[in-house]
Amino acid sequence: MKTKKHLLDILWIVIIAVAATTLMMILCKASPLEAYQMFFNGIFGNLSSFCEVFVKATPLILTGLGCAVAFRTGFFNIGAEGQFYVGAIAAAMVALNLTGVPGPARIVLSMLAGFICGGVWALIAAIFKAKFGISEIIVTIMLNYIAINFLGIAVRTFLMDPEGTVPQSARIESSSALGLLMPPTRLNAGIIIAVAAVIIVWILMEKTKVGYEIKVVGFNKRAAKCNGISVMKNIVVSAFLSGGLAGLAGVIEVIGIQKKLLEGISSDCGYTAVLIALIASNNPIGVLIAAVGFAAMQVGANSMQRQMGIPSAIVNILIGLVVLLILGRKIFRLSFFRKKAKN
Amino acid sequence: MGILEMKHISKAFSGVYANEDIDLSVNKGEIHALLGENGAGKTTLMNILFGIYSADGGEIVWKGRPVHFSSPKDAIAEGIGMVHQHFSLVNRMSVLDNVILGLKSGKLFLDRKAAKQKLIDLAQKYGLDVDPDARINTLSVGQQQRVEILKALYRNVELLILDEPTGVLTPSETEHFFDVLRTLKKEGYAVIIITHRMSEIMSISDRVTILRDGKKVKDLVTAKTNPEELSYFMIGRQLGGGYEDRKPAGKDNALVLKDVTIKKSRKTPQLDHIDLEVRKGEILGIAGVDGNGQKELAEVIAGIRKPTSGTLEFMGGDITSDKVKARFKKGISYISDDRHADGLVLDMSLADNMILRQYDEYPYSKAGFFNKRWIKDLSMDAIKDYRIKTSGKSTSDTIVKLMSGGNQQKIILAREITDKANLIIANQPTRGLDIGATEFVRKALMEQRNLGKSVLLISADLEEIMQLSDRVAVMFSGKIMGILEHDDITLQKLGLLMGGIAKEEEQP
Repeated sequence: MKTKKHLLDILWIVIIAVAATTLMMILCKASPLEAYQMFFNGIFGNLSSFCEVFVKATPLILTGLGCAVAFRTGFFNIGAEGQFYVGAIAAAMVALNLTGVPGPARIVLSMLAGFICGGVWALIAAIFKAKFGISEIIVTIMLNYIAINFLGIAVRTFLMDPEGTVPQSARIESSSALGLLMPPTRLNAGIIIAVAAVIIVWILMEKTKVGYEIKVVGFNKRAAKCNGISVMKNIVVSAFLSGGLAGLAGVIEVIGIQKKLLEGISSDCGYTAVLIALIASNNPIGVLIAAVGFAAMQVGANSMQRQMGIPSAIVNILIGLVVLLILGRKIFRLSFFRKKAKN
Repeated sequence: MGILEMKHISKAFSGVYANEDIDLSVNKGEIHALLGENGAGKTTLMNILFGIYSADGGEIVWKGRPVHFSSPKDAIAEGIGMVHQHFSLVNRMSVLDNVILGLKSGKLFLDRKAAKQKLIDLAQKYGLDVDPDARINTLSVGQQQRVEILKALYRNVELLILDEPTGVLTPSETEHFFDVLRTLKKEGYAVIIITHRMSEIMSISDRVTILRDGKKVKDLVTAKTNPEELSYFMIGRQLGGGYEDRKPAGKDNALVLKDVTIKKSRKTPQLDHIDLEVRKGEILGIAGVDGNGQKELAEVIAGIRKPTSGTLEFMGGDITSDKVKARFKKGISYISDDRHADGLVLDMSLADNMILRQYDEYPYSKAGFFNKRWIKDLSMDAIKDYRIKTSGKSTSDTIVKLMSGGNQQKIILAREITDKANLIIANQPTRGLDIGATEFVRKALMEQRNLGKSVLLISADLEEIMQLSDRVAVMFSGKIMGILEHDDITLQKLGLLMGGIAKEEEQP
């Protein structure tokens, strides 16, 4: 009964999304059939592009996971973007400066540094919330500005490639970069770390008392207090974990994909992460699925743009639409039922 | 033919009848009581009349013509007013502004002066004294109720529905309130009063309609009936006994409160120098009108609130600085009056709620990981022992939100009444429960008492207090007004203490 309702919802969402996309393709004066072909071709056409889906999904999984953990305690961390940047800066500093440390150890150190720095960045907001009662939404957004622009300064000053002229860091040695899994595709060890993170977070949330406390605090702060569970402690823990995961996403982007630090490195994945967590109802497995889905749509749209000149912005419109439809599906079910009842 | 005739009213919620074929007739200048247990359908019937719900079947005839109200606005426009159990006043606005709120005058500017005069006249006429300029949050509950009644009268209603109006009042406030009702009756108003208190019905009403399980059982003329007959029709059977079988209470103290005070800044203290002892093997009742410090007392013992000064001793040791978990481990259990906010996580499963107290202890969890099988067994045992109704297949995975109040309360009982629970703080443990669940809870508490455990029973239900308690302490304004021994408990003595009048012998 319930699954039937769900399937019906999904069917409606797909129908509306496809109709809207088709309309936009026609607006772009392209043949929808051909465009769809390019879209799917871009995703499944060859190994390299198929792997690209998972490359793109990696930061989305980690940041989405971070948001989900925070949302579970009712800590609305909108700052995955900033935490991503902080993690990226930390990773670049470790990878570029600790030249005396052997490669693999440097990888571990940069991940650790990125995780901790991202976590601390989120912790600032948690402390503002706890001590002064200031909304974490505002604080995390402000911290985003600071982190993003600090990276801008960093790649022009102390992290700038001394031999280059563009604002970006020197290239990270391959010994301290994440290995490729299937050259020549860009698929790297990052995806393994992301999937491992999903599994660890899932176990943490479902099987341990840490996750239990986080959930109790998220659902009912008053009951937590009445039963001796510290609300403050759990908000702090989930904020740190959340920021750490977003920071880790930044690390992987630096030492796994770009191999250097540069502006706009996040491709706004910190904001998309909020949507992913929302759609996944903060469930770690759901985050994994939603993130891969988002990444596939982006890869497909890029192919459409390359092959046919259809603006890949279509996919952003589509994402907005799909999120709205998913969130608003109840209203939409209601009116649907009313129609059905009349018949 | 009365001013109001409700005929064959039926209303079902998800297939269960809350009202089934109910007739009700009310005359002008009459106080008509609607009597029934919790869940008998009284409030549903009145909500249908007031336009909050629409009936599935039946007819409402108002002043001789059939009507259908689709919202309270319609009902008020036709001259029907209702005062709900929970008031609908804007706390930060004045009395006058609350009264005229939402009225259409057809003019651009409010004529506050004329409105104030009309309000003062009304208040004087019916003895509903209240300062029009006072802010609602500075008023007592009794005064707020007067504002609600004034609000209705200001809108020229002819029928006033009062849902459990005396639950929040002290005995003396109730007397005054009844005087107001008598004046209204003299002026030709029709009044419907929802209640389950026999004494009130006998003293104020002209006729009584009794509901049970969503059906009308009987119409009676008050003058020709008596409380025994009323309770027979209301309950449909004899009141459950079984509370007489008591082992003698112990002599030793389980819990001792010494000079416990909770005071925030310059406000009046929430707890005012409380000295209290709970003995082993006794039920100590705490009576009092809601909001006189009972909740604070419960929470200071459970460890949720810290006392500003004073000490607590439990089983011979000082527990003043112990936190909630430490106190539970030492045997202090707490059944909160607000199970939805304090006692349960509604969005989690029964099993998850069963472990809320001890999730971090062995064998619930080991090295941080849950022992799911053990927790499942624990939950299944609770379901069996406490006869908790869960939804078919999911059993211990049933989300608590989907369960009825009685079954939710049973989860809390199963969790809190453990072998090591030496003291059970039960705050309004039967509020909102049906008769069956109520009796279940009372029996469970009695059983603990007879096992030599202590129970601190906080209740606004005097019948419950008198039935169960070995001794009764009465709270008023954060203080203990007096303690009555079992044989010494009478309604009158309780009533005086609850109204803040100390025992005669203690007066100079």
